[in-house]
Amino acid sequence: MSAPTYQETIAALQRYWADYGCVVMQPYHTEVAAGTMNPATFLRCLGPQPWKTAYVEPSIRPLDGRYGENPFRFQHYFQYQVVLKPAPENVLDVYFGSLEAIGIDLRKHDVRLVEDDWEQPTLGAWGLGWEVWCDGMEITQWTYFQQLGGLELDLVPAEMTYGLERLTMFLQGKRTAFDLEWAPGVTWGEVYRESERQWSIYNFEKAPIDVLTRRFGEHEEECKALVEERLPLPAYDQVLKCSHTFNLLDARGALSATERAAYIGRVRNLARSVAQLYVEMETNGDAAL
Amino acid sequence: MATLLFEIGCEELPAWACREAEVQLPGLCERELGRRPDELLLGPRRLALLVRDLPERSPDEWVKGPPEHMREQAAEGFARKQGVAVADLEVREGFFGVTRPGGPVAEALPGRLDAIVQGLTFSKSMVWEAGGLRFARPVRWRLAKLDAADIAGDGASYGHRFTHGRVEVPEAETYAEKLRAAGVEPDQAARRSAIVGGLDAIGGWSDPAAVLEEVVFLVESPVVLAGSFDERFLQLPRRVVETAMQSHQRYFPLEGARFAFVANGGDPETVVAGNEQVLEGRLEDASFTFERDVAKGIEVLAEEAGRITFVAGAGTFADKTARLVALAEALGGGEASLEAARLAKADQAAELVREFPDLEGHIGAEYARLAGFPEAVCAAIDEQYLPEFAGGPLPSTEPGRVLAAAEKVDNLTVAFALGQRPSGSRDPYGLRRAAIGLCRLALEGGLRIDLHQLVDLDQRLLLGGGVELEQDPGPVFDFVVERFEGLLDIPVEYVRAARHAWISDLAGRARLAEWLAALGEEIEPLHTAYTRASKIVGDVALDTPARDDLLTEPAELELQDTVGRAWPEIKGSLDALDFDDAFRAASKIPPVVDRFFDEVMVMAEDESIRENRLRLLTDVKATLGHFGDLAQIPR
Repeated sequence: MSAPTYQETIAALQRYWADYGCVVMQPYHTEVAAGTMNPATFLRCLGPQPWKTAYVEPSIRPLDGRYGENPFRFQHYFQYQVVLKPAPENVLDVYFGSLEAIGIDLRKHDVRLVEDDWEQPTLGAWGLGWEVWCDGMEITQWTYFQQLGGLELDLVPAEMTYGLERLTMFLQGKRTAFDLEWAPGVTWGEVYRESERQWSIYNFEKAPIDVLTRRFGEHEEECKALVEERLPLPAYDQVLKCSHTFNLLDARGALSATERAAYIGRVRNLARSVAQLYVEMETNGDAAL
Repeated sequence: MATLLFEIGCEELPAWACREAEVQLPGLCERELGRRPDELLLGPRRLALLVRDLPERSPDEWVKGPPEHMREQAAEGFARKQGVAVADLEVREGFFGVTRPGGPVAEALPGRLDAIVQGLTFSKSMVWEAGGLRFARPVRWRLAKLDAADIAGDGASYGHRFTHGRVEVPEAETYAEKLRAAGVEPDQAARRSAIVGGLDAIGGWSDPAAVLEEVVFLVESPVVLAGSFDERFLQLPRRVVETAMQSHQRYFPLEGARFAFVANGGDPETVVAGNEQVLEGRLEDASFTFERDVAKGIEVLAEEAGRITFVAGAGTFADKTARLVALAEALGGGEASLEAARLAKADQAAELVREFPDLEGHIGAEYARLAGFPEAVCAAIDEQYLPEFAGGPLPSTEPGRVLAAAEKVDNLTVAFALGQRPSGSRDPYGLRRAAIGLCRLALEGGLRIDLHQLVDLDQRLLLGGGVELEQDPGPVFDFVVERFEGLLDIPVEYVRAARHAWISDLAGRARLAEWLAALGEEIEPLHTAYTRASKIVGDVALDTPARDDLLTEPAELELQDTVGRAWPEIKGSLDALDFDDAFRAASKIPPVVDRFFDEVMVMAEDESIRENRLRLLTDVKATLGHFGDLAQIPR
């Protein structure tokens, strides 16, 4: 049996989690550094409503770009994100079932859970969990959320974030992401390598620092105004835009260590105020979520 | 008598959580069951304990009531509270009481075992159901057997996660045997020896980052395997390769381009191939980074690092480098030390240091080697952060010791200047370790460290760089010298006394403290003269010396003369760290002080004479005070 292509693996995960009962969402429409930041995870994990979802998310991390020269580092790659809220008692078995669904024989390989705690300071979020190793390759970041936006959670969600490139490298036995077979006869490198080169130039050399600095302030103000207007969903998009703008400034080397900490604090404060408003509206019935 | 088995089934626990449970379980078991466990079997998916010879009935309990002579007032109330008639009360040793018969231990156990689970606490814990139990990771099942009887759970445990499912455990004593048949070695000591045995069989293994103790708790079914990687990765600094293996993958480096690791099952050939691919990927990634750094070279990296902020308020790494060079020079460093100081921070601009932050210094040293710098320079760059922990090894080379001392003086001075001195247990910049390092570099490394002068120099350089600070080296100095209190094997009073001595050399102060402690009773005359003079002078600061024309009494003239002759001798001998010689010179003073107090009235009516005599005593205090604040030493 030949190894599944990149797109077949994604399709198999979509099928498995749809069958489990997840709402299969689509990638969010603005840049996020991780699938966790998509409101389908960050906001839906707040409040008392159960929620199950699965989706592909492009992870945009300007600082990690390497001009398409290093086949292990990218400023744009893909995660497969699953959230089960609350986490069922057999949640690990359900997760391991997904590995079998994409063709991993759990008896043939050495699959292990190795302690790895997760923290996202810009979102005031943390959780405990593992990285899942398959023959030493980290294929999933696995987390029981404990706090989001600085808030305790009514229901404890399990988040499973599969690194799609590493996972398919493992499945296809490929040494680099560039060599992955995306579709029959088409490699990952053919699809994205030039994009890595151009975006790295933009992120590291061309992104206009003055404009970005100004934009950060504008997004921040808009977020605050939208919180005043009691519109947490649009307000949250402004948090994401602030976060991405900060990441670009960071990649441009425009921030000293002290400034970095200050920017992170500003994004965290926004995330916190949006999270509080969201929970308040969901709890008192002001929003039909 | 019966055997109790209690197993707490968990999702994969971190190794540290298993060890924290190992420490707490015996005490909790004793508190709840009155017995310490005979065996603790701990692993990633289960914490289990066995108690043998547990009495099947809990013992009768004597509930002591009021004394017999209180029958009138108290007996009836006590009986009512215990639910018995007054006539049923027994008397033992003059007290009323009732005997509560013990019961089958099985009845009390569920509550007791629950209390054990509730009683475990972890340094980091979580909930998996809002408002539920806090534990290191979710608890998914409990199994408790008293011999063959089910106390908690349904009589079953779970075997290896992927090869065996539910495992019936018919009797407490068969627990380990049943688990072994289901692919799980529950005994951590057995896993450890299996792993070490496997590694020994392969041979030539090492564990520089000490991952073995964690690996024991990462597997339930240990299989030791070996793999290899492409020899071209041996061009990477060895420690980069080892760190990639150990901190990321928990592998054990073997000689050459090979490694060993411990799997938890799977088909060996498949598992080895997968791990080889993962390691090569990591090494390939590190090679990309390494080659980019090397293409730039250490001089370019040093320039780039110069533009990076060291600490907000204390300038860039270029500023830091200038301070290190000046400090190395003041420490008597030679050419190699100065060159090493100039290049010490170059690797702060290296991409490889961003990937392997623990290897700062080492990576810079490797890049200096590749650029052809002399080994003395490279070794010093490598050793600048030593000791890594309070008792860790010191730099092995003289330039390394000089650079390490300069680095610590600057970190301490900068932190204190910016108001970031450690408080309580908060010491985010590791300043206590830095101060201990300085003390040890002086004591064991034989480095001559004039701390006042160095801190003063560093502060002037910081001030030149626009940092606003109080120019007082005192707090840094005191903070460092205080570390001797824990380092020297003498009562702290001697260290505290020596802190105020007039000795510029840091190690000299420690030697003086030890010398004072060894002096014993012989210090008496000096101590008495010093404290008598101190008491009268108090804290009043007076200019010395006393004016000759106001001295009238022979005893005060003699004192003036003796002190005047003694002090240059004392100072000279102390500077040369010849304490015995200094002591001989100082010993001339106490008899003259005694005569002075016998014959001279300090508090004379004439104010100018009185003040002059106080000046004279201030001089006595200061001269004897070259040995430190002797009043700190209890007599």
